[in-house]
Amino acid sequence: MTNEDFQLDGQADDTAAELTENQTAEEKAEFLAILRAQVGSTGKPETARDRVSEPVIRTWCDAMSENNPRYTSPDSAAAELNGEVIAPPAMLQVWTMVGLRQGGTAERRVEDTPSAGVYNLLDEAGFVGVVATNATYRYDRALAPGDLLAGTQTLVDVSEEKSTGLGIGHFVTTETVYSDEAGSRVGSMAFRILKFIPGTGRKPDGGEPAQQASRPQPATNPSTEWFWEGCRANELRIQACGDCDGMQHPPAVRCLSCGGADLGHTVVSGRGSLYSWAVPHYPQVPAFEYPLVVGLVELEEGVRLVSNVTGVRPDQLEVGMPLELHWLDSEEDTTLHQFRPAVPGRDPTTRKPDELKVGNRLPICPVPLDTLLIVSTALATRDFQDVHHDPVAARSKGTPDIFMNILSTCGIVSRWIGNWAGPDVRWHSIDLRLGAPNHPGDTMTLSGSVTTIDSSDGGDLVTVGFDGTNRLGTHVSGTAELGFGPDSGGDT
Amino acid sequence: MSGGAAGQAAIIGIGATEFSKNSGRTPMELAVEACEAALEDAGLPAEKVDGMVTFSAEQNFEIEVARNLRVPALRHFSMIPHGGGAACGTIAQAAAAVYSRVADYVLCYRAFNERSWHRFGSGVQERHGGAEAFDITFSWTSPFGLLTPASWVAMFATRYMYQYGATSEDFGRVAVADRLHASNNPAAFFYERPITLADHQDSRWIVEPLRLLDCCQESDGGQALLVTTVERARDLAPTPAVITAAAQGATDDQQAMRSYYRDDIAAIPEMGLCAQQLWKSSGLGPDDIQVANIYDHFTPLVLPQLEEFGFCDRGEARHFLLDGNIELGGRLPINTNGGQLGEAYIHGMNGIAEAVRQIRGTSVNQVQDVEHALVTSGTSVPTSALILGRDG
Repeated sequence: MTNEDFQLDGQADDTAAELTENQTAEEKAEFLAILRAQVGSTGKPETARDRVSEPVIRTWCDAMSENNPRYTSPDSAAAELNGEVIAPPAMLQVWTMVGLRQGGTAERRVEDTPSAGVYNLLDEAGFVGVVATNATYRYDRALAPGDLLAGTQTLVDVSEEKSTGLGIGHFVTTETVYSDEAGSRVGSMAFRILKFIPGTGRKPDGGEPAQQASRPQPATNPSTEWFWEGCRANELRIQACGDCDGMQHPPAVRCLSCGGADLGHTVVSGRGSLYSWAVPHYPQVPAFEYPLVVGLVELEEGVRLVSNVTGVRPDQLEVGMPLELHWLDSEEDTTLHQFRPAVPGRDPTTRKPDELKVGNRLPICPVPLDTLLIVSTALATRDFQDVHHDPVAARSKGTPDIFMNILSTCGIVSRWIGNWAGPDVRWHSIDLRLGAPNHPGDTMTLSGSVTTIDSSDGGDLVTVGFDGTNRLGTHVSGTAELGFGPDSGGDT
Repeated sequence: MSGGAAGQAAIIGIGATEFSKNSGRTPMELAVEACEAALEDAGLPAEKVDGMVTFSAEQNFEIEVARNLRVPALRHFSMIPHGGGAACGTIAQAAAAVYSRVADYVLCYRAFNERSWHRFGSGVQERHGGAEAFDITFSWTSPFGLLTPASWVAMFATRYMYQYGATSEDFGRVAVADRLHASNNPAAFFYERPITLADHQDSRWIVEPLRLLDCCQESDGGQALLVTTVERARDLAPTPAVITAAAQGATDDQQAMRSYYRDDIAAIPEMGLCAQQLWKSSGLGPDDIQVANIYDHFTPLVLPQLEEFGFCDRGEARHFLLDGNIELGGRLPINTNGGQLGEAYIHGMNGIAEAVRQIRGTSVNQVQDVEHALVTSGTSVPTSALILGRDG
């Protein structure tokens, strides 16, 4: 998706909209010239308020569910590399974030950061909405507690006025170079944001969503009621024989293994794998969202059952993919079992370069999005923009709810890639392009694969292409460059 | 049909209405017309009929059909359950009835407006909310959006593709053969409208991995067949199509359309049970079959049927389909009437009529030197199959 396709719904802000609608081409050109006056200029180094520190790292890791011991545990940090805890590379931008300034918007001085003047001008002109759309981080070396960073920003570009899904706005592109106290460069960030007029975006098709029809409800009788009672209690109960321990589904009135009539049930783990699937497209029934994935799930206890598989696109389905149980409250007294791709675990050993091939798929990773995740990751990245924690403020700026910030997307994507690659991989860069926002109540599903392997310098520089999709579309797409094996010219 | 009845009964009359998307008349009219046509084909007066067998899904009950035909007395009447799995089962039970002298002349029929009145493919979305066992079976699938025959079959198709490497194109070859044969058949809805594999691949998804052109039609129409003993059949004008063998089958953990809980869902064990019975009671094998009507409500399940009958090894059907093997002139031409994709969906009964024509030598896609024709019935349900042969 392009940046012009932001799918956020907006509320009307007629004044600002009229303002830009009524402008003549000459007036717009004049405004753009003012906006662009500082393009190419570089500000002064801005030194972080605090040094890189373990508590901030730990808080960030907690929010991101990042468990790589290199970031939090000196004992198990890879001694042969640094012998100390390092900061997650994805935190690069965190250290110089301005933090929370009570009593008003945190302000940066125009002479220090050339983008600040542009933002002020845009705010005054009604372009008060802001979303980050692109970020490319390059990591020159790993950061460790005690490092003190300074960022020096260059204003790279201000776009002409664009009509986007979010609203009419300007894209502002900056480049920030980070250096340590010795003045050595440790990394950089190319960053692009959209400043827009809330309420001037394209409306979603079809207007108000139709009243959600109800799904076909399960019919029950005394032989099966216990199953649905279990669902209401968020227990997946499978019929089990008191005589032979055989398990069976769908329930029967005799044990299908031994003929016994002493039938009870076992609460199963909810872990399983995909045995087969169907993706209904037609006819569409209003109760369901399409494409609808119906899976035949083989539980680890050996019993199969039909269930929806959520948080995964049809083209991502694979027989055998690990699944985990979750629940859908379908009607006031009906709860349905659902499955989604199991969150892949962390690989404790770093992958061997010779095991990697172009086309290797990373395990699909669902990221359930709730308010806690979006707020806690925003705060852990020291981003106090109200659209990431205050629903009322978010709505006033043209979005239906709070949404995840780009630093959190970066952290979560990095966690997932790192869990696949292994703890000692060297991060060279990550490039993120944002689209559909991550709102609470949705699920983002990450998928990706190895796109290139460059072994020219002795080590292996591996590029992973990835995307994360949610109900609204593609939230993020991008690439990450990782160094495997010895001497990959990486961040050590 | 027990071994004793094998070869003792014959189909002596076939009759059908036109096959359409809107018959413009009631299903009862279609049922009576089809039965009248079968009797006329056989040259048998209706008062001789003393048995009727149909589907439990049939809404035109035999007493009302008999009343309209002015059949004075019915000594045998039965209904075979489980939708399209019943088709050859009607013939099997009619043959058993005439062999055991329960009845002399048995009409088997099926008629409906399953396009213009009720769209059969629309499934069960508003049904089965009761507490009876049959209603309960839908509770394990309907709340999750598995509501149509296509959706139920898709689950088998995905697994079959995974286990044996079959592709959508392999399924498409079945559709291409059906439509090729239909293109020569003036009675077929898709007369003179063949398709290419590219057409199949371009057709939209109904339920992945099933495309539109993997799915049979929904049709209006009726089909009837008259069964009697071979001995009586010889007194009537048409060439008898001897029921060399006929069998029904239901196997372990059998469910209707959704037998998802067995060890292997890429096979069709109930069809395997039919095959074993047919080969055993007839003494025949795959090499003795020159033409077949393989039930094709959805193309993917044609492949494992070929395997269950031993025309190829397990998982090898996708290779068997190549090189025109299932088209006229090939090793085993199938569905020479156009099948249910090409001719009409009459729940498999029209496929039995085509096998009769192949035995008589009157098919529009006549296969040379037909000694034996195989017919199968609905898959993913308890099912049935039969072999027809020449008299003498």
